[in-house]
Amino acid sequence: MLDQILTEYRGKVRLVYKDFPLPGHTLARPAHEAARCAGAVGKYWEYHDRLFQAQPNFERADLLRYASDLGIPAEPFVRCLDGGRFRGLVEADIQQGRLLDVTGTPMFLINGQRIEGAAPFETFKAVVDEALRNIR
Amino acid sequence: MRALTRWLWLASLIASLSGLAPALAQITETEVRLTLDPVMAKGSPTAPVIIVEFSDYQ
Repeated sequence: MLDQILTEYRGKVRLVYKDFPLPGHTLARPAHEAARCAGAVGKYWEYHDRLFQAQPNFERADLLRYASDLGIPAEPFVRCLDGGRFRGLVEADIQQGRLLDVTGTPMFLINGQRIEGAAPFETFKAVVDEALRNIR
Repeated sequence: MRALTRWLWLASLIASLSGLAPALAQITETEVRLTLDPVMAKGSPTAPVIIVEFSDYQ
């Protein structure tokens, strides 16, 4: 759905993804780290999409298999994941979310305007239109 | 951060703290600085509208 927004507002909208694994989701944090490891070899969004398709299968073996399926070299990916290369950056995103009082996901900020939870395309369109009007 | 990090924007939260009387109400504002990793972004880097999504894979 956000891809639809990006297509309709090409050049006017940028999407920035922030990691916010919820406390009770014990397998989510390594999944977020794995996505960043995939990003280190240029496969962030492919891996990101794969994780959403694969929910909730995020055991270590699953994460390695998804990487393999996407043609990500195994050795550096394992080293990245097991070594916790991106652990600190995932934690930094979580801390930023907490400062914004994020308690559930997804949570969106559109030039500061908050949308909590899944919302229809029309809701995003209205907020984006308003943001563009405010800029002009 | 491996990739270039820049400040995305200052998101302001406004919290009001009420005292015993409305006249004593205080407003505090907190600025939250969000980092941006270009690897985790889609769309034009010069786009005037930025959607930040906090999300959880699980």
